[in-house]
Amino acid sequence: MTSPPLGFRETVLLGLAGLVSFIGLWSFLSVSGIVPAQFLPGPLDVASRFVHLLTAPFAGATLPAHLASSFQRYAYGVLLAAAIGVPLGLLMGFFRLLDDIVTPIFDGLRFIAPIAWVPFAALWFGTGVGGPIMIIFAGAFPPCLINAYRGARFVEPRLIEAARMLGTPSSRMILEVLLPAAVPSIIAGLRVSAGLGWQSLVGAELIVAAAGVGFMMVQAQGSVQTPTVMAGMIAIGLVGMLIDVLLRQGEGWLRRRRGLDS
Amino acid sequence: MASVASRRTLIGGMTVIGLVVLWFGLTTFTGLVTGARFPSPAEFWLSLKQINGRGYAGSTLASHAFHSLKLVLMGFTVAVLTGVPLGLWMGWNRRVEAFINPVFLIIRPIPPLAWIPLAILWLGLGDAAKILVIWFSAFVPSVINAFTGVRNIDKPILEAARMLGTPRLRMVREVILPASLPMIFTGLRLSLQASWTTLVAAELVGALVGVGFVLNMAQQDIYPGMILVGMVTVGILGWVTTLLLARVERRALAWNVAARD
Amino acid sequence: MGSISFRNVDKVFGHGTGGVKALDDINLDIADKEFVAIVGPSGCGKTTCLRMVAGFEAASAGSVLVNGRPVTAPGPDRAVVFQQFALFPWKTVRENIELGLRNKNLPVGERNDLVASALKLMNLETHVDAFPHQLSGGMQQRVAIARAYVLDPEVLLMDEPFGALDAQTRVVMQEELVRLARHNPRTVLFITHAVEEAVYLADRVAIMTRRPGRIKEVLDIKAVRERENWDSHARIEDVMDLESFVHLRTHIWKSLREEKGFKDV
Ligand SMILES: Nc1ncnc2c1ncn2[C@@H]1O[C@H](COP(=O)(O)OP(=O)(O)O)[C@@H](O)[C@H]1O
Ligand SMILES: [Mg+2]
Repeated sequence: MTSPPLGFRETVLLGLAGLVSFIGLWSFLSVSGIVPAQFLPGPLDVASRFVHLLTAPFAGATLPAHLASSFQRYAYGVLLAAAIGVPLGLLMGFFRLLDDIVTPIFDGLRFIAPIAWVPFAALWFGTGVGGPIMIIFAGAFPPCLINAYRGARFVEPRLIEAARMLGTPSSRMILEVLLPAAVPSIIAGLRVSAGLGWQSLVGAELIVAAAGVGFMMVQAQGSVQTPTVMAGMIAIGLVGMLIDVLLRQGEGWLRRRRGLDS
Repeated sequence: MASVASRRTLIGGMTVIGLVVLWFGLTTFTGLVTGARFPSPAEFWLSLKQINGRGYAGSTLASHAFHSLKLVLMGFTVAVLTGVPLGLWMGWNRRVEAFINPVFLIIRPIPPLAWIPLAILWLGLGDAAKILVIWFSAFVPSVINAFTGVRNIDKPILEAARMLGTPRLRMVREVILPASLPMIFTGLRLSLQASWTTLVAAELVGALVGVGFVLNMAQQDIYPGMILVGMVTVGILGWVTTLLLARVERRALAWNVAARD
Repeated sequence: MGSISFRNVDKVFGHGTGGVKALDDINLDIADKEFVAIVGPSGCGKTTCLRMVAGFEAASAGSVLVNGRPVTAPGPDRAVVFQQFALFPWKTVRENIELGLRNKNLPVGERNDLVASALKLMNLETHVDAFPHQLSGGMQQRVAIARAYVLDPEVLLMDEPFGALDAQTRVVMQEELVRLARHNPRTVLFITHAVEEAVYLADRVAIMTRRPGRIKEVLDIKAVRERENWDSHARIEDVMDLESFVHLRTHIWKSLREEKGFKDV
């Protein structure tokens, strides 16, 4: 038997103990010189660098400006993935022939890590905005497609039969039966896409880009500015978390509105 | 009447043939797509011959691929051997969970790829940095799924084991571990995928050998034929390792109905 | 030896104002080798009673004794047969049955003999190496019963063991349990909400009130069974036709009907 749930107090105390140990160990390693501070700055150094970067430019821009340009590419990439992936998935769920044609292509590409598209992305769309967008797209596309497809493919057959019986034409069937029925699955897919897209963005910016947080981190790495690298990691983590929280809220709101959970 | 499966195979086969024809058509026959954008089949073939013969980016395709495979397997193994036990322990002991969870919540939002610059700062461009980053990225899914696996064990199963007087070590080995195994394997699949993504990214950022390095060099040389060779290799490696893992899973979960279909 | 006693047992789930009183002053003594069934409306605390004897729950007040000693933890002296079988899906039939014996560190030879006789007793010999998911519900419950019986427990605790079975299988299992209980008597605490099952199987039937559960009435079935010679009938339906059986059944029915909220028999 797993132990019974802990009380609130114990949970908080143990959690704090965990955090203190983590930060303590980090500080100790850095302050004691076991790891040279150049390579592992203490938590305070990183925090103060983070604050510093909010106003002072590094690698051409301040941290918020880098984040803004990252976010712009990210938004384009994810929206593009959703705009193509969701309709295609729905159509595949409805038209068997399309399913049979697209699925083998999709399966063939599935095992190529999205980040491996970097060279072609750079070649086709350049390293400015287009290339990174394509890489984000490559990361965010599969869940959009798969979830829309599954959502449409596994709609209660009786719903479809009922709609057929009422003489519903295909276009209306897709828009008024499959799409609404697939919405929960699509939303879940979008959330996964958003996470994977953010991850791909970081990868893309590390490899090809002339602005953005990832670019800032690579530049900092090149000049051994570890605090800046770590501040970049924190910024990426914070934004990623924010995106996830917002999408979760949106998903919850949508599910409640449709009466899927209380 | 063809069955559904053979219909799929037929259309799938026709799709593949269609794509190949399209590839020839756009590149070789009409030249609508030039070799500077995407290689023709002949260019792809020449690149393949080059890297297998003279080599490219320092060695042959086989040794690049082997090197990448080795790193992925090492990082993946380290991640699984540390992540799964930690996840099981957190699932089993709520104190351990309460202690580790906040730290985990802070570190988790940082995408694994964001560790690459730090890993390079710490360990340089060699293998160690890559194993470290793969470890970070494959660790999280292993922990989370092992944890979820333990938490979702049917309560009566655990009570039955306690009722039978099962001692602690046997409880872990014969009850908790097998009961969480389906979830653990779900985690391993995600971990493996994460390992490949991370390795390719890390090799693209900086490496001296490996498929990601091939891609990197081909990009710098503006050599589309070789880029395609690199991508195909990445896909095949990912596919083969995934198949291997699925085989292991089928063996390990022979008792599991859900795993059979 | 295997007596069970509930002494002024209360059970409250949760704390303070959020607490729910599940059991209220339960008193019940079960003698060694006696078969007692508890019936009652669902949610009245039957399972909770059984879980306290098993050692999965502690009493909030009063005490639960087995052989005069308070129960502190689960153990193989009090074997449980769960409603949902709770077999280990990754272990074969043999391995499921064997685990408790391995935990007792019995020598291999003795262990094999015990497993073999348990398999024979429950007609499982042809399924020794099957995994649980390959068996029907009835077969799975046989394995669960064999797993409990093989421990040679002083006390056998069964929580609606046939609740998940279809009607035909259920009858077969009831007959087998009677055969087992008469041939190899044990102290049994048997939970059910099927009145006929309780009357057919038990020496005594305890009727509980709705929540907070109290023992409302305890009926002596054994006296009637012996007087009317029920065991001379091999088939359950013949017993159920006897006037003495019908009389007891109707009595329990009426008693349960008085409990508002009793709806699921
Ligand atoms: N672990 C628990 N936590 C809170 N309430 C519980 C728990 N177990 C049982 N209860 C409550 O105690 C009452 C009795 O439950 P139970 O013994 O399972 O009833 P029965 O087996 O007679 O149907 C029910 O109202 C149930 O909701
Ligand atoms: Mg119950």
